[in-house]
Amino acid sequence: MDDDGWARFEAIIDSALAERPPGVRRQIGTFLNLIRIGPALRWGRTFDGLDDRRRDAWLRWLQDGPIGLFRQGFWGLKTLLFMGYYGQCEVWTEIGYAPLFDARGRLGAGA
Amino acid sequence: MPERETDVLVIGSGAGGGAVAKELAPLVAAGKRVTVVEWGAKLRPEEYTGREVDMAEKLYFDSGGMLTQDRAMTLAMGRAYGGSTVVYTGTSLTVPERVIAKWGVPGLDWRDVVTRSQKYLEENNVHLLDEDEINDNNRLFLDGCRHLGIRVEQFPINVKGCRGSSLCNLGCPSLAKQGTHRVQLPAAERAGVEVVTNCRVERIGEREVTASVMNPAWGEPSSWEPGRYRIRAKLVVVSSGAVQGPALLLRSGFGDRLPALGRYLTLHPALILVGEHEHEITNFYGHPKSYYCDEFLESERFLLETCMYFPFTTAKNLIGFGAEHSELMRAFPRLQMILVLAIDPALPSNRLTLGGDGEPVVDYTLTEPVIDSLHASMRASARIFFAAGARRVHAPAGVRFFIDRSQADRVDELIPRERVVPGRMSVTSAHVMGGCRMGSGVADSVTDGWGQVHGTPWLYVADASLFPHCSEINPYVTIMALADRVAERIRDRAGELLA
Repeated sequence: MDDDGWARFEAIIDSALAERPPGVRRQIGTFLNLIRIGPALRWGRTFDGLDDRRRDAWLRWLQDGPIGLFRQGFWGLKTLLFMGYYGQCEVWTEIGYAPLFDARGRLGAGA
Repeated sequence: MPERETDVLVIGSGAGGGAVAKELAPLVAAGKRVTVVEWGAKLRPEEYTGREVDMAEKLYFDSGGMLTQDRAMTLAMGRAYGGSTVVYTGTSLTVPERVIAKWGVPGLDWRDVVTRSQKYLEENNVHLLDEDEINDNNRLFLDGCRHLGIRVEQFPINVKGCRGSSLCNLGCPSLAKQGTHRVQLPAAERAGVEVVTNCRVERIGEREVTASVMNPAWGEPSSWEPGRYRIRAKLVVVSSGAVQGPALLLRSGFGDRLPALGRYLTLHPALILVGEHEHEITNFYGHPKSYYCDEFLESERFLLETCMYFPFTTAKNLIGFGAEHSELMRAFPRLQMILVLAIDPALPSNRLTLGGDGEPVVDYTLTEPVIDSLHASMRASARIFFAAGARRVHAPAGVRFFIDRSQADRVDELIPRERVVPGRMSVTSAHVMGGCRMGSGVADSVTDGWGQVHGTPWLYVADASLFPHCSEINPYVTIMALADRVAERIRDRAGELLA
């Protein structure tokens, strides 16, 4: 994303977080710290110091692992991030999404 | 605090409240006052922009992402002039006889529900779309099911002048969807019913409520000035939906003598699956929901429906991240989608309670049989995608992000039961039911068969919270039929209730 995209990304997420109770915002902050510091227990390095393979492995462990709280936290964080990105209309062209209010002329056998 | 008076106060303007408002409009001609208060805003036509995040904020509670207590599910409930009828896809089915029989509500006859449902099917212009109005996303589901010998039905839809924007769930920009905001509420208002938007009811007292009006940054301003009000009413009808309605009654102290209040919630837990085709298909053009399959309803307790969602909703429903996720999202014009819904049991432990702040908390647990249904539905959907020619499929419980068509004969192995794990997948509900179930007694119900709250002759409920069990179909028309019944009872007893 360019600078404008990052600004929109942050604005969407800030707006979404502002609607959430303070407790939820604190939980997200705690989870982000877990993501950052947790790898140190396994690899002796924080998230920033990991290579891509280990970063991927750590995130997938949070997503799929045995701790329900972590799975839920990962899903919630991921949802927030995807909102910030895919919630931008400017991203529509990147993914080929082009809605029309009047699409009647676009219907017909395709596949 | 300013005071207002009315004869009948209806709280909520969705499928239930809208139907009640119109059916009680004749009371106005008889000199009575009927007032509807609606928490949400009445959007102006030009405010239906189709922008996903913006419209979710304007039209849904918690932007469509209200979490259950264990955070395993999100609930999507509309909040607007017209309630959830503004944001649902307009599928309009009549409840089957077996469902009403299972409900076992004294005096509730299926044939009566059908007659009332038929009235709303006509009022709301419900019909089958012509073949040339059906897009590829829907047609491929039909083709895939037929190839596998699976029964498919077409959804009747409540639209007039549909222009195929596929934006139903963000509010129809063509105003084609015939929800209560387009049919029943305007008719009620023309007949003299007052509808007050941006008005949240805080508490129900003895034939009165306290409410507050606050205008958001969108929609028309309320007809009442911002501030708190005490509204005196001879009769109150709660039509606030299965979360806000029971929550309001609990906050108002009715739970003390109604142990079933808030209990027996059902949700039709749902998941989205995605299949990718080789070529672009018409998916975000055309009505998104033309077909459904109830072949597995009795055997494995799930339904399949066609669907098409928006970029953010799609992204959050894919289980994964990184390059694969991005790759599938960039195939958006080639995506086919199926929505699976599980038929869940009505359990007293699945309930609505209040948090410390008085706000609703949905305490709902996905049971093992429901998880089994979701698992089976994913396998069935994957087979349908491949039968329709998809090159690969994403299933939330897949062992890998993609299942390639070369692996189509290994679907069972590649979507194992142990991967269906709450908290990992995006399980949603747009059909929230129960909480004020109809029945015969206080021990296990909240209202009688006509929606009157037990022991409180001036208080009625008219929305999906009446359902003793889930409807096993989209609940919309059934809500209206039951609300119609409630309104008839009120009209019949108006002389006594509104004296």
